[in-house]
Amino acid sequence: MKDEKVKTIDVIKKKRSVSAETKQQHKEYNRIKKLILKSLEPEAKTIPQIAEETELPADVVTFYLMTLRKYGSIETGEIDDMDEYFFYKLKK
Amino acid sequence: MEQQNELSFDTLVIGGGIAGSEAAINLANLDYKVILVEKDLSLGGKMIHLSKVFPTLDCSACITTPKVSETIRHPNITIYTYSEVKNIVKVSDKKFTATLVKKPRYVNEDLCTGCQECEDKCPVVVKDQYQYDLVGRKAVYVPFSIANPRVVNIDIENCILCGICEKVCPVDAIDFTQEAVEIPLTVKSVIIATGFELFDPTQILRYGFGKFKNVVTAMQMERQLVPTRPYNSVLRPKDGKMPDNIAYILCTGSRDETVGNPICSQICCMYSVKQAQLLLGALPMADVSIYCMDIRAFGKGFCEFYQQSIGMGVEFHKGKVAKVTEKENGNLILRYENIENGKITEVEHDLVVLSIGVLPNPEAKLLFNSPVIESDEFNYIKQTDELVCPPQTNIEGVYVAGTSSGPMDIPDSILSAGAASACSANYIRN
Ligand SMILES: Cc1cc2nc3c(=O)[nH]c(=O)nc-3n(C[C@H](O)[C@H](O)[C@H](O)COP(=O)(O)OP(=O)(O)OC[C@H]3O[C@@H](n4cnc5c(N)ncnc54)[C@H](O)[C@@H]3O)c2cc1C
Ligand code: SF4
Ligand code: SF4
Repeated sequence: MKDEKVKTIDVIKKKRSVSAETKQQHKEYNRIKKLILKSLEPEAKTIPQIAEETELPADVVTFYLMTLRKYGSIETGEIDDMDEYFFYKLKK
Repeated sequence: MEQQNELSFDTLVIGGGIAGSEAAINLANLDYKVILVEKDLSLGGKMIHLSKVFPTLDCSACITTPKVSETIRHPNITIYTYSEVKNIVKVSDKKFTATLVKKPRYVNEDLCTGCQECEDKCPVVVKDQYQYDLVGRKAVYVPFSIANPRVVNIDIENCILCGICEKVCPVDAIDFTQEAVEIPLTVKSVIIATGFELFDPTQILRYGFGKFKNVVTAMQMERQLVPTRPYNSVLRPKDGKMPDNIAYILCTGSRDETVGNPICSQICCMYSVKQAQLLLGALPMADVSIYCMDIRAFGKGFCEFYQQSIGMGVEFHKGKVAKVTEKENGNLILRYENIENGKITEVEHDLVVLSIGVLPNPEAKLLFNSPVIESDEFNYIKQTDELVCPPQTNIEGVYVAGTSSGPMDIPDSILSAGAASACSANYIRN
C-alpha cells in the first residue's frame, strides 16, 4: 500500500537503476531539443532550414520538432511560397 | 508477485479489439457475467487507431469509441486492461481455470483523472508506439487521446526515476510501489479475440523501410490521416515536405512465399484505395499511384469504391515492385515490371506507402496449457467446424472471434464475434 509520508519514487529507486542506454538517450534528447529551440529563437524556420543550421539530420529534426509541437513548445506557421514546407515558430 | 482471491465468471473474452468488445457486449446483454482481458493499455484494438473505414468512409474512432464506452459501462462486464491470462486448463465440462496477470501501471487508476500534468513535466522523450514511431511521447503518458481507460501509464524501462511526476500530480495518483498481481480465474467458456499482427516490412530489405525515411507503412499513413495526427498535416517524415506524388506498394508481406506468408491479407487492397481517396481530399494537388498484382474488391460495395477511386484520379499500375532506391532529395525510385507491356519501368515518387499485410498473433496459442489449442496451416486459430459452427475450436467451450482465425475486415470481425458469443451462450446453457 502507498505510504503517505514516503515518496514512492524512493521505494522503487532502491529496487531499480536507470540503464546507461536510457541515460544516454535522455542526454541526446536534451541536446537536440536545445539546438532546435535555439535555432527558432530569432525567427520561424522550415525543417530543412533547421537541419542545415543545427547540422542535425532532417528526419531527426522532424521527429523532435513534432514532439516539441505536440507538447506545446512550438507551433505551426505559414507554408512556404512553393507550398512544400511549413514554417515552425516558438510558442509565446 | 502479489496473489489475490479467485474470481469466477461465465465467459472469459481474451482481447479487447472490436471483435472482443462485440462478443463481450452480446453475452453481457444476455445476462452472462463476462471478464474481458486486454493486454494493451486501452480497449479498441487496431480499429481505434484508424482514420476512416472502407467503403463507407465513416470515421473509425466515432464508431469505436461508443462501442468501447458501452463495453466499459456494462454492469455485466468486468475489464482488466494491461493484463494477460495464462495457463488456461479445461478441468471439466463448463469449467476452465486460468491465471490472470495484472501488470503495474505505477498509477492508481481510480485516482488518476488523466489531467496529464505529470506528462507535461516528465523530462523523457521516446518513440510513441501509438503514433507508430512518427513522433515522441513521455515516459509517463496517456496512451492516446481517446484511450479508454484514459489514465496514464509509466514506461518504467525508459523512466529516469526523477520523481517529478509524483511531485506534480495533484491527486497523488502516482504509485511506484505497484507490482504485478496474479489472480486465479474460473470460467465456463472462453472466447479468443487476440486479433492479428502487422507484417514487419524491414524483412523486405529491397523496399528500404527503416533506411529510407520517406518509405512508411499504411498504419503510419492511417495516423497521418486522423485529426489527432502526429504532424500538422500529411508530411514526409524525412524532411517535413508536403508530398505531392505518392505511391502505394500493395501485397507487402502478403501473397509472398519468400516471407512465409502465401495468403491474401483481404484488407490491404481496400484500405489502400481508401487512403488514396482520403489523400486526394487532404492534398488536392497530389497524385496517388497504386502498384499491384491485381485489386481484390470482393466485398459489398468494394467494387464501386474501387471504381470511385479511379474516377477521382487514382492511378493503378499492374506490376510488382522489385526495388526502391532513394535520391539525395529524399524522393524514391520504384523499379517494377509493367505487366501490361512487359517492360521494366522506373518511376519517381516523393513518398512511398507499404500496404503491409496481416499475420497471425502467435500469442494466442501460448495461452492454453491443457488441452493445447490447435492452429491451422497458416498459424491462425483452427476453426474445426467451419461450415456448421465457424467459431468452434478443437476445445469444446472455446470459440474464436475476429482476426484470430484469419485476415478479415471490421464487418466480418463483428459478424464472427456475434457467432462466437452465440455459440458460447449455447454451450453454457446446454
Ligand atoms: C492499415 C489498416 C487499415 C485498415 N482499414 C480498415 C478499414 O478501413 N475497414 C475495415 O473494415 N477494416 C480495416 N482494417 C482491418 C481492421 O483493423 C481489422 O479488421 C480489425 O481491427 C480486427 O479486429 P480484431 O478485434 O479481430 O483484432 P485487433 O484489432 O487486432 O484487436 C485484438 C486485441 O487483442 C489484444 N490482444 C492481443 N493479444 C492478447 C493477449 N495475449 N491477451 C489479451 N489481449 C490481447 C490486442 O492488444 C488488441 O486490442 C485495417 C487494418 C489496417 C492494418
Ligand atoms: S497521474 Fe496525476 S498528474 Fe498524471 S494524469 Fe493522472 S491525475 Fe494527472
Ligand atoms: S519519474 Fe519517470 S515517468 Fe516520472 S517524470 Fe520522472 S522520468 Fe517521467
